[in-house]
Amino acid sequence: MLATVASAVVQGVIGHPVDVEVHVSPGLPGFNIVGLPDVCCRESRDRVRAALLSSGFPWPMKRVTVNLAPTGLRKEGASLDLAIAVGLLVAQDVIPKEAIRKYAFIAELGLDGSLRRVPGTLSMADSVECPCAVVSPKAFAEASLIEEKEILSAGSLQETVSCLTGRSEFSSPLATPSEDESLIEEDLCDVRGQSLARKALEIAAAGGHHLLMIGPPGAGKTMLARRLAGLLPSLDADTARVVTRIYSAGDFRIPPGGLIRNPPFRSPHHSTTMPALVGGGSRTLRPGEISAAHGGVLFLDELGEFSPTVLDALRQPLEEGVIRVSRAAGSVTFPAEFVFVGSMNPCPCGQADGPGGCRCSESARMRYARRLSGPLLDRFDMRLFLQRPSVDELFRGKVGESTSKVRERVLRARECAARRGVKSNSSLGAKRIEHEAPLDEEASKMVESAVASGRLSARGLQRVRCVALTICDLEKKPLPLRAADVALALQLRQNPVSLNRSIAAMAASNSSSG
Amino acid sequence: MGIPAEAYLVSLLKLSGMGPARLEMLLKELSPRQSWQMLINEIPAKIAKTAEVSEHLAARWAAEAATEDVEETWRRHCEAAVTMIRRGGECYPWRLSRDSDAPSVLFAQGDPSLLDFPLVTIVGTRTCTRYGAEVAFELGKAAASRGVGVVSGLALGIDAAAHSGALEVAGAAVVGVVGSGLDRIYPKGNASLWGRVRERGLLLSECPLGTMPERWRFPARNRIMASFADVCVVVESHVDGGALTTAVEAAKRGRVVMAVPGPIRSPASAGTNRLIADGCGVICEIDDLFVVMDVVRESLPSRAGRTGAGSERQASSDPEELTPDTELLSAFEWMPATLSTLAERTTGHLGDVACRLERLIAEGKVVQRGLWYERSSLA
Repeated sequence: MLATVASAVVQGVIGHPVDVEVHVSPGLPGFNIVGLPDVCCRESRDRVRAALLSSGFPWPMKRVTVNLAPTGLRKEGASLDLAIAVGLLVAQDVIPKEAIRKYAFIAELGLDGSLRRVPGTLSMADSVECPCAVVSPKAFAEASLIEEKEILSAGSLQETVSCLTGRSEFSSPLATPSEDESLIEEDLCDVRGQSLARKALEIAAAGGHHLLMIGPPGAGKTMLARRLAGLLPSLDADTARVVTRIYSAGDFRIPPGGLIRNPPFRSPHHSTTMPALVGGGSRTLRPGEISAAHGGVLFLDELGEFSPTVLDALRQPLEEGVIRVSRAAGSVTFPAEFVFVGSMNPCPCGQADGPGGCRCSESARMRYARRLSGPLLDRFDMRLFLQRPSVDELFRGKVGESTSKVRERVLRARECAARRGVKSNSSLGAKRIEHEAPLDEEASKMVESAVASGRLSARGLQRVRCVALTICDLEKKPLPLRAADVALALQLRQNPVSLNRSIAAMAASNSSSG
Repeated sequence: MGIPAEAYLVSLLKLSGMGPARLEMLLKELSPRQSWQMLINEIPAKIAKTAEVSEHLAARWAAEAATEDVEETWRRHCEAAVTMIRRGGECYPWRLSRDSDAPSVLFAQGDPSLLDFPLVTIVGTRTCTRYGAEVAFELGKAAASRGVGVVSGLALGIDAAAHSGALEVAGAAVVGVVGSGLDRIYPKGNASLWGRVRERGLLLSECPLGTMPERWRFPARNRIMASFADVCVVVESHVDGGALTTAVEAAKRGRVVMAVPGPIRSPASAGTNRLIADGCGVICEIDDLFVVMDVVRESLPSRAGRTGAGSERQASSDPEELTPDTELLSAFEWMPATLSTLAERTTGHLGDVACRLERLIAEGKVVQRGLWYERSSLA
């Protein structure tokens, strides 16, 4: 007896349809899975057998061959469990062959016959060719984001069989449409003082500019960064689907509503390995933290503590917005477009830019500085020095604007960017900036002297203009850019002197400007 | 044999534990060639007696001498264009010749005539603060632009900052006195500075090529720097800093010692503040150095540029009194301030304040250090 059941596997974030062919024939009892299953997939034999027996179904005492087609594709994970079990039952005539024609089955089986969620259900359900897909109840919310297909769910193998044989109906647990479930509990008005840093956050949110914050411990770097995600506009429909797909495939937490609407905020610890950060892994190619931050914020606290190779792996995705991970087994592309926020201390002791000076030796400072490579530093459009708020600011400082107020301005600036045909100003190319960000006379004089004094490179100039354009958008001022916009953009692009120059050279730059 | 007497001297200096005192002792009785031959022929007892060292050490010298290739060492010195200046010789620096503790031999790379300039020795701690580095830089630059040579030790921190400052000026006289052989760059991080001093100035050492930077050589090096100084300036020093030994050596030789005052809470200034308490000269502003040195300011050509800038400055500050710029300047309250604080004290618009700050920086009225802005002494 032969049965063919539709299912799917996921590779990276892409689902691939798989036909599970089950052949039961007379012969010595045995069970073989062919068609490049990995260990987890091969083990499904034991799970399926236990599930069948504990659900009261027969296990064929015959020779069973399960083929996973296309056979060239490596199958990873347990998503084929249910399909294999259903195939066995069809082959034994427990379920009529016609009953399963329009269904695909995507779930893992427990030994008691219950259906479990597998990572990547969303992508897999999307990829199958059948009009209906059966998934576990836990995966129902994410899978039901696919509008073209009917998504069904059943709690157990037994339930699935009784639905297929017409004795009962598939349940479709009503999706709770609580879309914006997570309230923004971290509001910008909690931050006292730090008006420049707040402005920088606003600009980063509006223009999608990457931000580096350098300051002593306790200056509020982490606090500020956490509030950036709240300033970003909600994800548009396309991005939301992509992000949900990544979350589903990477087994990150998905809200009960299914769709991820709020821009994600990811802050991996500095011990993070390269595959965990950019994606990959030795067996399954999983999306990493930078893909989980797609459409939102990737915050790397204590940037200097990350391993330099891990940090430099960020350079290409920062430039292109995607990460291509290639292994011998295949290569996948994950989207990775995010606002990159880094924070670090000015030196190991953290006091280098305070008025008291620091106690680190020059060599310790240089060693600390070398952790951050020049090219990566160059990716930050804004580099900002922070200081600890004074006692006055902390206790008697004015309460600043709230997230919702700033967000309105951010949304308006994003509209300006949309009129230019880009998502945010940071993705404007050099040529477009030349055209879109004209400078008035005073402003061009200012950048000219900044370039002449060696403070700005040609590339730096482009980025300063780009940031100035965002500042101008936020203030709803007409073009050309004024000197105030450019000056603020220049102020927000501090050269982290203590980071990449010796102290003597630093003194040189100071005395030549003073 | 074509080996000159100097070659034997170099090889003698390479022996472990051979300092200037022992060498003097030897040379009083024997010529370098004779001493060497005595070592080779294994008569260490005689050497021990002459140099007043233990027989044990003399035996060690003999063993070292047996493996030493005098000709090869000499050839290496010639190839590296190292000049050897012997005590009592014509080229020997006049400042050292009156010194009882002077090295018998100096190895030099560069232009020895720089030692005829008026010289200031600028020293200080390696673990300096930003303040110290900046002051050292400014002192070095100011000295060089007035035709005063800058002597320093090419160490990290203050030493490096002082030389970097001096090298900003074209035609500056920079003299680096080091504690290792001239081919042993130490610390490695100063390699480029080391190279620039060799190219544009003078490098001096009392050790032959190949000498490792051992600990005891640095205080020894300090005494040479001290005796070169017309004025010795300590910019920053910890209470037990090596820079203080330079100051003490300089004072012993009757040189003027000056110190740069620092905050009493800064450990990097503890040594210098103590020097001031003990009665040494104080550098309250950069020009104090030149008052002491009796350098006539107006006579030097580089001064012209500065007066020009000064008169311009006057012209610009003459017209109206209460411009937005002066308002911003008064918001400083003579303390370093950040952009955020300045914005709060004035209009509150970050962009406008940033714009005015840029202008003030361009005019030299405000100096930016990291996130801090300060009124400069011009404003």
